[in-house]
Amino acid sequence: MAHALENVTWEECLLEPRRDRALEAFTRETQGVPNPNVAYFASVPWVARAFVELHPEYGLLQRLDPEVADLVSLIVSQENSCRFCYSAFRSLLWAKGMSRDRIDRIEQDLARGDLPARTRAAISFGRMQSRSGPPAAASACEALRAAGVDHDELKEIAYAVAVTDFSNRASTIAALPTRPMERMPEQWHMRLMRPLIGRILRSHRKRGAPTPLERELDFPYAHVVRAYDGSPIAPALARTLEGLWTSGVLTRRCKLLMLAVIARGLSCAECAAEVAPALAAEGLEGAALDAILNHLDGPELDETERLLVPFARETIWYEPARIQRRARALKERLAEPQLVEAIGVAALGNGLCRMGAILGCAA
Amino acid sequence: MTAAWLAAVALFVALALAFVVVVERGRSARLRAQLEASNGELEHLQRACSRLAPDGVVQRLIDAGSADGSDPMVPERKVATALFADLVGYTALSERLDPAALARVLNGYLQRMSDAIHEHRGHVSTFLGDGILAYFGALRPDPWQCTDAVTAALAMRAAVADYNRELAAEGLPPIGVGIGIHRGPGLAGLIGSRERMEFAFVGSTVNIAARVQGLTRVHGVDILVTEDVRTELEGAFDVDPMPAEHVKGIADAVVTYAVRGRSDVAQPSSPQRVGVKDALPGTT
Repeated sequence: MAHALENVTWEECLLEPRRDRALEAFTRETQGVPNPNVAYFASVPWVARAFVELHPEYGLLQRLDPEVADLVSLIVSQENSCRFCYSAFRSLLWAKGMSRDRIDRIEQDLARGDLPARTRAAISFGRMQSRSGPPAAASACEALRAAGVDHDELKEIAYAVAVTDFSNRASTIAALPTRPMERMPEQWHMRLMRPLIGRILRSHRKRGAPTPLERELDFPYAHVVRAYDGSPIAPALARTLEGLWTSGVLTRRCKLLMLAVIARGLSCAECAAEVAPALAAEGLEGAALDAILNHLDGPELDETERLLVPFARETIWYEPARIQRRARALKERLAEPQLVEAIGVAALGNGLCRMGAILGCAA
Repeated sequence: MTAAWLAAVALFVALALAFVVVVERGRSARLRAQLEASNGELEHLQRACSRLAPDGVVQRLIDAGSADGSDPMVPERKVATALFADLVGYTALSERLDPAALARVLNGYLQRMSDAIHEHRGHVSTFLGDGILAYFGALRPDPWQCTDAVTAALAMRAAVADYNRELAAEGLPPIGVGIGIHRGPGLAGLIGSRERMEFAFVGSTVNIAARVQGLTRVHGVDILVTEDVRTELEGAFDVDPMPAEHVKGIADAVVTYAVRGRSDVAQPSSPQRVGVKDALPGTT
């Protein structure tokens, strides 16, 4: 059966895959098999590593049932119309040993009313966060609590949604090629290797263990990391954010502006408050900052910022074909590492906003 | 003898089971084929419905009826921006063209206007003859809704100019567009009768946008915005104040501004903004 997103219009891939042996080794060590995303983002290591390091399946979830996490990822990818992530997810289930009929049935089950209340609440949460973002956080939390989801599990659901959002956006904006993923179950050599791949994947999929944060964090969005203190999610997020802030491909101010635009577009007051002091330290505050965020432009912006500030806004509510066309226009103006980092910042910003808003009500 | 009976029974049971399996597989295949056909019909229906309702509304309605039973289209109070556009020159066209040609020109106009609105995150709520009612920020939160609406209006102006060149090549008279934009509160969501509902933004905001559109003919301009919109634009667009006018249904005279274009301050410096690529050391 053709899957639900096969008709979504998808442009040619914007990025060239690039071999990076260290990254490949890191991916194999963590996940057991190569991750097709990594090579496309290799020019900015923190973006490429984030796909692997933030993946909830590999030792980051302590409480949330992995099958519920899978369903949440599937529903969020559907909501975001990420053809790549959706195909990748189906291929992953297939590689783990599920028949294609069974995968179709799982999808059909998403619409069933007789799923356990907690599962339904988690799926509903994924939908609401993808559609409405932080403004729907309070009611989404209430629904999860009413279904018996506790504080820690709620945070893990928020994390699973946010990371899927990150992955969806990065893959969609870059228009990662979907055909290899979609065709995987039809290829004879993949069918031959399937039992081995499934075994490797299952052996690397593991539950997380309590992991305290070992150092003080001092960067924008550290509050999101601290909210997960004690969970293995915290150090993984901290490494990704440190990578974002120490990378010099785009300026710190440019990245902050992109995050501020996304926070405003998603009406996330907590995230806006996190970014504002950092922007003030960069010399942008008060009326000048307001004017930039109101008009997505301004005389204070440099050339790269004038391209990426309005682009950040495009990534909030998007249609795949349109955002891919806009990203293609950026490609002509930016070096590839700049484009990759811009995609990473926008994708992570969207995920962090959705995660950050939930943490307020979770507490 | 008993062994032979047992073997016969076992054979019979095996044959019966095989028969059941074959029948069930056949039924399963038929059900699957029916399911695929239903999916195809549903997709076709969805495409057909998408012509009758704003983008996103149909999908959200379908989703709302599925798993969680939540209804994302329940009306709620929102601040949104309404854009009302009307075709100028329709009478001249209708006198010259036969119905088929008139419909073709009208559809061409409506398509171009819809594309411009959609491109800037608005959604067309309804066509009222040759008029168009569109909203910005009604379906999804949009803090940049006024900028989007005015940018869409400028794109509509440019699209009409392009279309006029095509019409001129066919020896047809030019058309124009009058656009009124107002921002304010209203009730957004699915509204209507049991038999027919539509996504709507209800309230005086829409009426004012329609009245302001009417003032474009009074002032002889094509795009007019209200004071509420101008305040939000904060100088990002060049606007000229128009004399305040009384309009039907509104007690105070309405102050409007004609939009000339984006102001130089907010305009990107130049189309050839190259050099960004070269500014990064170590990249090619």
